[in-house]
Amino acid sequence: MVDQAFLKLENIAVEFGGFRAVDGLNLEVAKGELRCLIGPNGAGKTTALDVICGKVKPKAGLITLKGRDITRLPDYKIARRGVGRKFQVPSFFRELSVRDNLEVAYCKQLSVFANVARFRRSAESDGLEKLAELVGLEDFLDEMAGYLSHGQTQSLEIALLLAQDSDLILMDEPTAGMTTQETMHTAKILNALRGRHTLIVVEHDMAFVREISDIITVMHLGKVLAEGRAAEIQNDPSVKAAYLGSGGISHA
Amino acid sequence: MKGNRQTVLRLAAYAIFCIAILIVPLFTDDAYLLNKFARYIVFGILSLALSLSWGYAGILNLGQAVSFGLGSYCMAMALKLRTIPIQTGATGLPDFMVWNNVDTLPWFWEPFRSYTFAIFAGVTVPVVVAYLIAWFVFRARVNGVYVAIITLAMLVVINLLIIDQQKYTGGFNGITDLTTLNLFGIAFDAYSAALYYLAAITLSLFLFLGLALISSKTGLILQAIRDDETRVWYFGYDVAAYQTFIFCVSAGIAGFAGMLYTLVMEFASPTFLSVPISLSIVIWCAVGGRASLVGAALGAIVVTGVQGSLSETQAFLDTWMLIMGALFIIVVLFLPNGLVGLVDLVTGKRRRHLASITAAASTAARQHAAPTRHDLVS
Repeated sequence: MVDQAFLKLENIAVEFGGFRAVDGLNLEVAKGELRCLIGPNGAGKTTALDVICGKVKPKAGLITLKGRDITRLPDYKIARRGVGRKFQVPSFFRELSVRDNLEVAYCKQLSVFANVARFRRSAESDGLEKLAELVGLEDFLDEMAGYLSHGQTQSLEIALLLAQDSDLILMDEPTAGMTTQETMHTAKILNALRGRHTLIVVEHDMAFVREISDIITVMHLGKVLAEGRAAEIQNDPSVKAAYLGSGGISHA
Repeated sequence: MKGNRQTVLRLAAYAIFCIAILIVPLFTDDAYLLNKFARYIVFGILSLALSLSWGYAGILNLGQAVSFGLGSYCMAMALKLRTIPIQTGATGLPDFMVWNNVDTLPWFWEPFRSYTFAIFAGVTVPVVVAYLIAWFVFRARVNGVYVAIITLAMLVVINLLIIDQQKYTGGFNGITDLTTLNLFGIAFDAYSAALYYLAAITLSLFLFLGLALISSKTGLILQAIRDDETRVWYFGYDVAAYQTFIFCVSAGIAGFAGMLYTLVMEFASPTFLSVPISLSIVIWCAVGGRASLVGAALGAIVVTGVQGSLSETQAFLDTWMLIMGALFIIVVLFLPNGLVGLVDLVTGKRRRHLASITAAASTAARQHAAPTRHDLVS
């Protein structure tokens, strides 16, 4: 297991009605790494996350997590193997309080019947309050989540992922709609997470990406176009061409 | 703590409601009124059952009357077998079977000679039927309006099946001419205080059991499923299992209500599992407040009560349906959370909204004063 990648995607292909959103994607992420996934619109970044967490099933290819094949597992079983996901569209529980949102995300016990006998405001609530504090929502614990501002809901979603405590965390544009201050705070949180968690972050905000990334993977037309550190990536001519959208790049 | 105070208030509201329905027989011994009130209480149980699945888990079950009707038939079958046959001779077969040239009691009627079995079946049969429907629907991740359509279709199918199998079910007439249930030396006559108490105690029990259920972590996860089903799958919860669970619990409670209804009405009929009843349950639930068990129960009692008194009043004989319609429209327009929404309107919501504004202001102020606070945290 020593040399094995924590997460490995081999020759993944995803098709939507004949359109190949992801086409022969190969990706390896090491344990504890924070990997940024960037690329122009339609490059297949979100689809790549979808395929890892089981939202979309690949037409071809193999996904292994900690050396075990998860390609054909249903989404909730992939989640149980330790994959958490934050979607691009805010998704949390609007009619529940922030505290209850975190309670739901804190999912050590998953079965219906075990949970019938468990009541809220349990011993772990303390931990959840600390989490709320970490993302700056401590004053809103009893507030209905639907009343939060957009930036706050992004923070809430990060807190949800932390409560879920997955080994692998997939984030789709975690800072969209955040203020600069909130963005930089989020960068700090993500930096603190690496090591214990493995993260894959899809992001457009390059300032944010530079703040958090070791290795950046650039996707284009469903494939990996380039991989490397921020400085290398930015000087890569093929990346420049892809972002300028000059159509005629042959990405061989 | 704010949370504790709310819990206490809620418990108090439930307790007051239960006491109120339990003391009714102290004020009247009019048998006709008691019977009528018992009927309303049974509708309250039915409405509570729908509130669990619709209000708390977002599953709009338009086939709730299936469970209600099946429960009702189970009780009717047991009572029918104990009715001394008048016109059917020595065989002791239920009258409608004789009229349909049935010679021997069908095998599935046989166990209903036992009350224990009948009461067990009155809950279990609806649960099993609900489980089968739920298995197909929720495993396939069908949701929203499609669940409503499927459950409504199931209702129509089962209703037709019962009408069609006249030999075994009494067909369109249902099962009539029933004896009185005698349990533990108590006769639960349709017009007795005993039956009223039975209904009221049952409703009270289900209210508190339901409250315990929705306060559990399972209840919380169900509410999360109502808000955003997809998100719950990605936490690793088997959403379908949770939906199936609440769907079956709701069916079991409705089945129990059905059994009581047979006792109150003294017959079982295919109209008990008809579309009008099923849709009425939705209206009761919506009027009372679907996201509140006591609200849903109250909604059923208020709506059927008003309906009953309007339709019995000479002055409204021609117009009572119009008046009911107007009332529903008013509730839907102005009280989207139902009658319990009135309570929120007066107390909770307004205060909560103020609290959110002040909390936001204080956070903003603190961030201005100490911009490095975040650095300290991480």
